[in-house]
Amino acid sequence: MYLKDMQTGQRGLVVRINKGHAAERRLFEIGLVPGASVEVVSRHPFHGPLLLQVGNTRIAVGQRIAEAVEVEMKSSTGNTP
Amino acid sequence: MTIVIIGNPNVGKSLVLNRLTGSNFIVSNYPGTSLEISEATLKLPNHEIKIIDTPGVYSIFTMGQDQQVIKDLLQKEKPELILNVLDATNLERNLLLSFELKELGIPMIVLVNQIDRARRSGMQIQRDRLENILGAPVVFFSALTGEGLMELMQMLEKNIDETAWPSSIESFFEQGKKPECVFQCRECSIGSESCLSSEDFRRAEMARYTAQLVEHKQSETQRYWIDKAEKLLDRPLTGTILLLALVFLGFYILLKFIELSEGPISALLNPLNLIIENFVANLLPPGIVNTVLSKAIPEGLIIPFTIIMPAMLMVSFLMAILEDSGFLPRYSVALERVGRLFGVSGQAVIPLSLGFGCRTPAVLATRLMPTIAERFIVITILSIVIPCAATIGVMAAVISTFHASLMVLVITMLTVLMVLGFIISHLMPREEVFVYELPPLRIPTNKNVLKKVRLRFAGFFTEVLPLLLVMNIIIRALMESGFFKLFHSMEGFTRALFGIPADAFVAVLVTMFQRYLAPLVLLNINLTPREATIAIAMISLSLPCLPVMVMTVREIGFKGLIKILIIGFITSFIVGAALNIILPG
Repeated sequence: MYLKDMQTGQRGLVVRINKGHAAERRLFEIGLVPGASVEVVSRHPFHGPLLLQVGNTRIAVGQRIAEAVEVEMKSSTGNTP
Repeated sequence: MTIVIIGNPNVGKSLVLNRLTGSNFIVSNYPGTSLEISEATLKLPNHEIKIIDTPGVYSIFTMGQDQQVIKDLLQKEKPELILNVLDATNLERNLLLSFELKELGIPMIVLVNQIDRARRSGMQIQRDRLENILGAPVVFFSALTGEGLMELMQMLEKNIDETAWPSSIESFFEQGKKPECVFQCRECSIGSESCLSSEDFRRAEMARYTAQLVEHKQSETQRYWIDKAEKLLDRPLTGTILLLALVFLGFYILLKFIELSEGPISALLNPLNLIIENFVANLLPPGIVNTVLSKAIPEGLIIPFTIIMPAMLMVSFLMAILEDSGFLPRYSVALERVGRLFGVSGQAVIPLSLGFGCRTPAVLATRLMPTIAERFIVITILSIVIPCAATIGVMAAVISTFHASLMVLVITMLTVLMVLGFIISHLMPREEVFVYELPPLRIPTNKNVLKKVRLRFAGFFTEVLPLLLVMNIIIRALMESGFFKLFHSMEGFTRALFGIPADAFVAVLVTMFQRYLAPLVLLNINLTPREATIAIAMISLSLPCLPVMVMTVREIGFKGLIKILIIGFITSFIVGAALNIILPG
């Protein structure tokens, strides 16, 4: 499944990023790498950006990126990072 | 001895430099504040140390503009020491860069900044473990409280012995540092610099592992109100409403402030102006010079002091609050959808809103944009549509003098913004990659806000006031000498096309020099509300001012500026002609 399919509050592990090198590199720098744990903090309506919590960083990504990041859902229990 | 400060964006590098050297670099709470290299000197008892601040980067092994700046700098300066500044609250991401820097082989001191904030949120960092893993001394630092400052200075003094420039670094400067690509990277045979190598992943793994090892979190129960505010702001509906309400409040405060301050300032200025007028009139022999100066100097003081000064003061203050609190990047997110209509990503909000203060630094801030194409779009919109604080001030004066229609002007500007953004964005290729880091909310410190207001407002006395005064004298002289009458032959042309007298058209042309000068010409002629509305619209939507032009050439080159100027002229003329047709006569 992809980042775009996740609901607010859900957590997952990044599996793969299917977007050109440039985007991949940028995401890598900001901490969104395969293996990283992400939580969807909120989703803006009308295909707006997604707010993610990656480690201690809060980042916003556009829809195009949310469509390209493949994730594996974690069981939705537990609220501690 | 030379030290280079390197760190992620928005970790407080400039603040560290300011603390160390007592210098005064602008500090904000959004990534990308220091887009240029700044330099200061630290005087220790026996030594002088040159400290160089660099733009924030997440990685030095990427091939971006900023990375090149750092590469060139390292090669040129051959620093004896790297001061790697980390954000204590965000170790995992920050450590990635530390591991990269470690590989350069230049001696390094790791400065864990914002340690106070990390502690407040209940996090503890194990210093000795971190030192062991990084193989470099670690200093806990708080630019806010001054913690770690003495320790760092002592450490610098001890570390002063000159070390040999590591030979391992040369491979870093050679472009061909070829990453050994991992399996996902299918095109690694091209040697793309942005390709992620297994080394990159190893370092990321190290960073994550290290962060987990050294961070010791206490209870998660400390939830103070900033946390709550952050939650509210980062929720789409409440966040957007709150942010828009704040903008509205900001504009309300701005206009109210100008309105309230105009009375007292005029009351102070009028007697002073009378004195100046008499003084000048008596000083010089009677004649045209006397007439021009005795009229122009007092006149030239009224608008700057009664309108531009309060506007610049308040805009500087509001912008400082917006920047330091961490609200600004949140606007990027809330307005991402809107921005895409204009063909720019949400990041554009930062330079565009800075433009309301002064457009010159705003052009610099367009470096935040991910692509050159988007930079061009944002600079064009900035140059043509966005009114800066000084412009707003003068516009307000002209609007009230001639009872021009504010509504028509606002609608015209918004329409131009939409149409222009739409057209340019469809002419230029672009890739929509919106990734942006949101800094945690902070309460702005009085000191920092004051400093920013002072720095920005200084431009009033050094640039705005002298320019307006000089130009006012020139314009007055041109009027007294009858020069503007030469343009009267154009009357038929300007009347037919734009519905404004030739004098007003001259004002439109004056925007070439400085947009906020044009209204000075307008104030000296008689205009009907309709004529004034059209003339102001044409002025508001025309060319960038001279300082912005200079900055634009520096940033995107001469060709870019020429394009913007052509677009500006066309826009202005189309707006004039269109309004002339639409507005009832």
